[in-house]
Amino acid sequence: MIQLQKISKHYPVGFGKNEILKDVDLTIEEGEFVSIMGPSGSGKSTLLHILGLLEEPSAGQYLFQGERVDKMNEKKRTQLHRGAIGFVFQAYHLIDELTVYENIETPLLYKSLSGSERKSKVADVLDRFNMVAKKDLFPNQLSGGQQQLVGIARAIVAEPRVILADEPTGNLHSDQAKVIMELFKQLNEQDKITIIQVTHSDLNATYGNRIIQIRDGHIQG
Amino acid sequence: MFISYLRIAWRNLWKQKVFAAVNMTGMSIAICAALLLSLTAYHEWSYDNFQENKEHVYQLYRKDNTSKGVRINKSFSEPLAGVLQKEVPGVKRVSRMGGGDMPVRYKDKNIYLDVEMVDADFLRMFSFPLQQGNKQTALGSLDQLVLTQNSAKALFNEENPVGKALEVKIGDNWKPFVVSAVADNIPDNSSITFEALTRFENVEDYSTIRDNWNVSSYPLMVEVAANVNAAAFDKSLIAIAHKYMADPITSLKTMGGIPDKDGELLRINTITLNDFHLSPYSTFGSGLRPFYPWMMVMLACLIIGIACINFINLSIARSFTRGGEIGLRKALGAMDRQLMMQFWSEAFLLCLVSLIVSLLLAAVLLPYYNATFRHQLSFHLFRNGWIVLGTAVGFFLVTLLAGGYPAWKIARVNLVQVLKGKLRLNRGSSVRNGLIVFQFMVAAMLISCTAVIWQQMNFIRATPLGYNTTQVISIPADNAPPQARAAFRNKLASEPSVQSITGSILNLGIGKDGSSGNWNRGFDYKGSHISTQCIVVDYDYAKTLDLKMVAGRDFSRQYGTDSSGVVINEQMARQLNEKDPLGAILNPSGQPYHVIGVVKDYHFESLHKKIEPLMIMMDAQSRMNYLFVKVNTSHPAAAMEHITAVWKEVNPLAKNDPGFLDENTDRLYRQEARFSKIFMSGAVLAIIISCMGLFAIAVLVMAQRRKEIGIRKVLGASVGSIVVLLSRDFLKLVLIAVLVAIPISWYLMQRWLNGFAFHVEIHWWLFAGVSLLAVVIALATTGLQTVRAALSNPANSLKID
Repeated sequence: MIQLQKISKHYPVGFGKNEILKDVDLTIEEGEFVSIMGPSGSGKSTLLHILGLLEEPSAGQYLFQGERVDKMNEKKRTQLHRGAIGFVFQAYHLIDELTVYENIETPLLYKSLSGSERKSKVADVLDRFNMVAKKDLFPNQLSGGQQQLVGIARAIVAEPRVILADEPTGNLHSDQAKVIMELFKQLNEQDKITIIQVTHSDLNATYGNRIIQIRDGHIQG
Repeated sequence: MFISYLRIAWRNLWKQKVFAAVNMTGMSIAICAALLLSLTAYHEWSYDNFQENKEHVYQLYRKDNTSKGVRINKSFSEPLAGVLQKEVPGVKRVSRMGGGDMPVRYKDKNIYLDVEMVDADFLRMFSFPLQQGNKQTALGSLDQLVLTQNSAKALFNEENPVGKALEVKIGDNWKPFVVSAVADNIPDNSSITFEALTRFENVEDYSTIRDNWNVSSYPLMVEVAANVNAAAFDKSLIAIAHKYMADPITSLKTMGGIPDKDGELLRINTITLNDFHLSPYSTFGSGLRPFYPWMMVMLACLIIGIACINFINLSIARSFTRGGEIGLRKALGAMDRQLMMQFWSEAFLLCLVSLIVSLLLAAVLLPYYNATFRHQLSFHLFRNGWIVLGTAVGFFLVTLLAGGYPAWKIARVNLVQVLKGKLRLNRGSSVRNGLIVFQFMVAAMLISCTAVIWQQMNFIRATPLGYNTTQVISIPADNAPPQARAAFRNKLASEPSVQSITGSILNLGIGKDGSSGNWNRGFDYKGSHISTQCIVVDYDYAKTLDLKMVAGRDFSRQYGTDSSGVVINEQMARQLNEKDPLGAILNPSGQPYHVIGVVKDYHFESLHKKIEPLMIMMDAQSRMNYLFVKVNTSHPAAAMEHITAVWKEVNPLAKNDPGFLDENTDRLYRQEARFSKIFMSGAVLAIIISCMGLFAIAVLVMAQRRKEIGIRKVLGASVGSIVVLLSRDFLKLVLIAVLVAIPISWYLMQRWLNGFAFHVEIHWWLFAGVSLLAVVIALATTGLQTVRAALSNPANSLKID
C-alpha cells in the first residue's frame, strides 16, 4: 500500500543542510499496524508527515496505493486527505469553537456529503465510541482521553484506508493511553484500517504487529 | 458548508470579543461616515440630472482678460439674446432670467414669492413639468404667470388657480397677471429655483435695458441643437463678441489687457446645465466648487481605508492564534480556496453586522449631520436603485479588501509549521508596518490640514474689516414700500439705544436673504480708464458703519448738493492719481460727480479678494435694498429682537429676518467653515480608528513578546529600558508617517490658502506640533500595554512553553 524508495529529507541551515532522513526504504502493506520508534530528533515525525503528504521529500519516490505522490496535483492530494488518510495528533487539534458533533462532522463537510449522510455517519461513530451524551460539549469540557477519542472518531468518520497517529497518547496518562491503544487495535483488526503510529512507549508499540526503529534518519535493521 | 463557516465565525467572534469589538466599532463608524459623505457627494452630483436638455443648455458668461487678470461677468445686455437666436446657427432657444422675492396678492392674501422673469421658451428649455396648462402657451403673453404647486396652494388653497387674476408688486407698482399654468414643485436638486414665472419683459428696468448694449444686468441661457457641440458653439460666440462687444474689447486693449492663447481679449464662454450647480461662474451655483464632492469621496475612502487596515492587521494577527485550526483543516482535506472562503465569510459576517450598525447609526445621525453641515440629505435617496446597488458593491469591495487579503495570507501558511505550533507573528511584518504608517500618515495629514484651516478661519474672524460688525444690524428690505421705511425710521428715532440708521443698495457680507452682489463700473478720467465698484447709499452710511474718513466728509443733510457728490476709498484715490483727490470731477455716466470725501479702505467684500476701488454715491431714485441700524446696547440679543419686532410691525410681509453684520460676514465663509468642520470630524474619526487598530496590535505584540520580555528581565533589564524597547518600534512607524504627511499637507494647504487674498502663513512649528501630537497619541495608545508587559512577573511568562 505504501512504498518509500530512497526517501531523503533535508532543510537548509546556514550554508549547509540539516539532514533529517537519509535514503529511507520502507514498504507497508494494507492492514498492518506499524509503530515507528526512535529518540527525539531522529526523524520519525518527519517520516510520518511525508507519509501523510503533509511534507514533500527532498529526494526519492513515494508510491501511495501504487501511485507516485510527486506526480499528483494539489487536487488529488486533497482527495487523499479527504478520503484515504486520517490523522490523529498528540495535541488532539480539535477545533475549540466547534462541539464534539461538529468536530467529527468537519471532514465530511469537506467530502461534500449530504446532510442526512453526515448525520448517520457521525451518529454511528458517536455510538460506537459511547459519546452520544457528549456530542454537544465543546473540547475544553472534555478530559484529555475523551478529547483524543473525539480526535480518533474524527479521523475514522470519513472511513480512511490508513490512520497516521503522531504520539497519540503522548499527552495522556497510562489508563487513558490503554483505552486509546485498545481502540487502535480494534480498528486495525475489525475494520482492517492500516495504522501507522509514532510513539516513544515500548508498551504502546506492542499493540502493533511491526516496529520500525529509526535513528539519525536511518531505519535500523 | 457555508452555514458551518458562519457558525464557526460567529463563535470565534464571540470568543475574541475585544478584537471583534474593535473591528466592528471601527468598521461601523467608518462605514457610517463614508455613507454620509458619499450620499452628500452624490446629492451634489445629482443636481439638475432630471433636466432632459442638460447636455444642450448653456449659461453664458463673459471673460475679460484685463492687465490684472481675468474678470468674470455673468450678466449680459438685453439685445444679445435676440442676436444669438438670429445670427448663430444651431441656437434653438434662449432665455434671460431676472427677479427675486416680490409681494404677490390675491384678494386679501398677500405673500412674498420668488417671482422669476424669463423668456417664453424657458419652460421648453428646462424640464419643469406642468400640472395644468400648456408649455407652448403658458408664457405666451406678458401678463401670464406660472405658479408652482406649493405657491398655488399658498395663494389659492383648494381653488383652481388657472385663469385667476392676481397682482405682483414689481418695483413700486402693482401689476395685474393671470395664472396660466401650475408647475410641479421644483425638485430639491434643481439649481434653478422659482415660485412663480412671468415674462422677462416685466423686469423693473426693462425700459432702460431694452436695446441697450451698455448695460448688462441679467444672466442668459441658450439651448443649442443636439448636433452642435460645446466647442463649436464657443467658436461661433467669438464672432458675436467681435461684432457686438467691440467697445469693451477696444477699452481692454487700451488698458493693456493680456490676450488669451487664442489672441482674444474678451470671450463669451459657456457652462452646461450639468455644471450649473458646481461651476464657480454660474449664476445658479451654490458656491461649492467641483472638487468639493470629490473631496467628500476621498475623505470617505480614506476613512474606510483606515478601518480596512485595522481589519486586515487584526485578522492576520489573530489568525496566528488559530494556526492549529487552519493546519488541521488542511490535513482534513480543505483546499486553500475553501479556507479562504471560510475566512472571508468571517470578514463578511463582521462587515455585515457593521453595515447594519452603521445604517442605524447613520439614520440616527442624519438630522444632526444635516444641521451641522447644512446638507439636505434624506434616506429617500435609498429609493434610487443605483444608490442601493452602489452601496452593495462598495460593501462587497470592502469585505473583499478587508477579509480577502488576510484570508489569502492565512490560507497559504505552511501547514507543518502550523501543526507543530511553530508559527509566530514576526515583529517586522513589512505589510503590517506599511499599513500602520499609512494610517498615521492620513491621520497626521488630516490633523495638519485641520490646524491650518482652523488658523485661517480664526484669522478671518479676527481681522478688522474696517467697519463696525458687532453693533450694526442689517435688514433686507425685501421690496418694502416707502411708507414702511419711513415709519420704521420714525419709530426708531426715539429709541435711545439706536444711534443711527442708513441704507444701501448692497448688503455687507451675506444676509439672511442669502443674496450678494456687486456693481462694477468703468469710465475714463483724464485720459486713463478707471475701473471701480460702486454702491449707492443713504445719509449717515459712514457714521452708522464707523467708517473712518481720511479726507473730506461723508454725505450730509446740511449740503443740498450731495446728490452730485461721491465718496471714494483710498484704492480709488490712488487710481485717480491726484495729489488731492477732493474736488476731482468724475464722470461715470454722462453726469459729473465731485469727490467730497475719501474713506479709509475697508473690506466691503470677502477676504478672498483684495480691496478694490470703490465709489459711494447717493441717489434719491435708487431704492435701498438694505437698511442698517447701529445700536448701542449691552444686550445685543434683546436689541435684535426689538428691532425685528419693530420691522415686522411696519412691514408685516417681511420675508427675511434682520441680522448683525458679523453674522453676515461669517456667512461669507460658510463653505470654508463647512470644510473645516468636515475635515475636523474626518480627522478625529481617522485618529480614533487608527488608535483602536494600534491598540489592538499593541496588545498582540505584547502577548507575543512576553517570553522575550521575561528573559530580558531575568537578565537584568529595567522596566524603563523595556518600555523604551517596546515603544521604539511603534514610534518609528509614527515618525515615518508624519514625515511623509508633512510635505503633502503643506502643499495642499498652501493651495487652499492661495484662494484668500489675506491669509495666514504656515509655520514650521505647526508641523512640529502635529508630529508631537501624533507621537503622544501613539504613545498613549500603546503605553498602557507596554508598561503592563514590562511590569509583569517574568516567572509567569516563562512558565508557559
